Amino acid sequence: MGDPRGFLKFDREVPTRRPVPVRLRDWREVYEPFPTDSLQVQASRCMDCGIPFCTSGCPLGNIIPDWNDLVYRDRWEEAVERLHATNNFPEFTGRLCPAPCEGACVAGINTDPITIKQIELTIIEHAFEMGWVRPIMATSSQERPWPSSAPAPLVWRRRSS
Amino acid sequence: MNDLRDRIVVQVDGQIKTGRDVVIAALLGGEEFGFATAPLVVSGCVMMRVCHLDTCPVGVATQNPELRARFSGKPEFVETFFEYIAEEVRELLAELGYRTLQEAVGQVENLDVSDANRHWKAAGLDLSPILHVPNLPEGAARYNTTGQDHGLHKALDQELITACAESLDAGTPVRISRPIGNQNRTVGTMLGHELTKRHGADGLPDNTIQIDFVGEAGNSFGAFVPKGITLRLEGDANDYVGKGLSGGRLAVFPSPRAPFVPDDNIIAGNVVLYGATSGEAYIRGRVGERFCVRNSGATAVVEGVGDHGCEYMTGGQVAILGSTGRNFGAGMSGGVAYVLDVDDEFRNRVNLEMVDLEELEPDDEQVLMAMVRSHFVETGSGVAERLLESWNASLTRFVKVMPRDYKRVLLAHARALDEGTDPIAAVMEASNG
Repeated sequence: MGDPRGFLKFDREVPTRRPVPVRLRDWREVYEPFPTDSLQVQASRCMDCGIPFCTSGCPLGNIIPDWNDLVYRDRWEEAVERLHATNNFPEFTGRLCPAPCEGACVAGINTDPITIKQIELTIIEHAFEMGWVRPIMATSSQERPWPSSAPAPLVWRRRSS
Repeated sequence: MNDLRDRIVVQVDGQIKTGRDVVIAALLGGEEFGFATAPLVVSGCVMMRVCHLDTCPVGVATQNPELRARFSGKPEFVETFFEYIAEEVRELLAELGYRTLQEAVGQVENLDVSDANRHWKAAGLDLSPILHVPNLPEGAARYNTTGQDHGLHKALDQELITACAESLDAGTPVRISRPIGNQNRTVGTMLGHELTKRHGADGLPDNTIQIDFVGEAGNSFGAFVPKGITLRLEGDANDYVGKGLSGGRLAVFPSPRAPFVPDDNIIAGNVVLYGATSGEAYIRGRVGERFCVRNSGATAVVEGVGDHGCEYMTGGQVAILGSTGRNFGAGMSGGVAYVLDVDDEFRNRVNLEMVDLEELEPDDEQVLMAMVRSHFVETGSGVAERLLESWNASLTRFVKVMPRDYKRVLLAHARALDEGTDPIAAVMEASNG
């Protein structure tokens, strides 16, 4: 659960956006990079609630307090394992999800919620950098002819392999 | 049946959250209903389950001012919650055909458990014992209809209140004496109640009302006695002497004609000074187990204790001029105990989980000397007399029992006062480790 008093010591901090005129000129990330040590401070704000409303706020049921704690403790490989346990594509959801987890966060009742989305994104980006995310090859018996490019076949392939 | 049901009140508790729960509990025979978690949640609890960590983010289970500022509950929330409960109870009673909740109490035949029993988890349960309807004579009460006569009009305190009437009103000093027997329980408590009603929590000056008893006191002698009352007992006492002592002074000592050695004999029972908050007690002789359990401010001198002395103590000063039983100071988070180490074995009988053993400092020596002196004055204790005769030599035999965290907080507080910083902030900082 990180630091039991973390939420009292630190305020919420999120990465800043790059200026719009600069953003217009390329297709790169909207946000400036966020330093890892600042992110670990943000993870320490997680209160490890007895009833983690973030988990029920997340449509995937992500076990958010677990990987918040693992990030705080610098155990990134386990963190990505916990993240992948419920979420097949954190590289997408970490960017695109409207983060109902943060809306459900107990810290958000009277202060700012934990930066769950940023932590999620950093875990998976770190995992790609470290080479922990490897393609999972399907066997021929698992081939299914889905007609679209929707995520369903990707999810199915990941889960069945 | 024993025909006692009309004289008792049955309380029911556990997972009661709705009006339906209340009605079921009433039909099963309950007439007072305990709610805990539900109103707690209504007032702001989010069931973080960190009540023990002092980090409650909604300011419910904490005394930290920073966290309490986050508490957003209002009494009205709880009031409204119970209005809804009452409304639902009323609707269900109407459905059942009862006009009042009392009418429904114990009408267990109205419960249909077949639905509940259909669930696979409940399938093996035989509920018939709790659904049993006793064979009652026509018109027998199924709920509390009459009271129990506690015989309070016969209590010794009624006599004391009459005898001390003038002092209670005007605060004039009075000293009376009465015989006491072990049928006289909780002596002094109703007298104290009268004093507090008239003079508030501050009470009267020490020793305004002094009562000398001779005999054997029943349970809870001097319980909750406030400042201004001094009770002296020549004889002995049962359990709970000075329970919840609230500023009063107590002394218990054997008759000078007693043939036994007072230092070696038990003069009062278990849990003496349980939950005392202030006041003084001097006991000439040994006492039983759990002496001063949960004491938070009283000063006490005794000549030996049983097991678990000073358990869960949070404040106050205790001097023990004799041997202790095992597990001394278990869960002791505050206050100080000075123990005369009679056989150099005390170290093996103290529970060191939360306390340290220290040598006395000059301040302690002053405090202890004053305590032993008062003990001698109040009880004529031979132990106190011998200690005072060669005081400097006696001091070396005392051990100070000091709670570790309490000491850290006291030091931080003293340092803040020295440096002129905020003592409250320093205490918070120190207590958070």
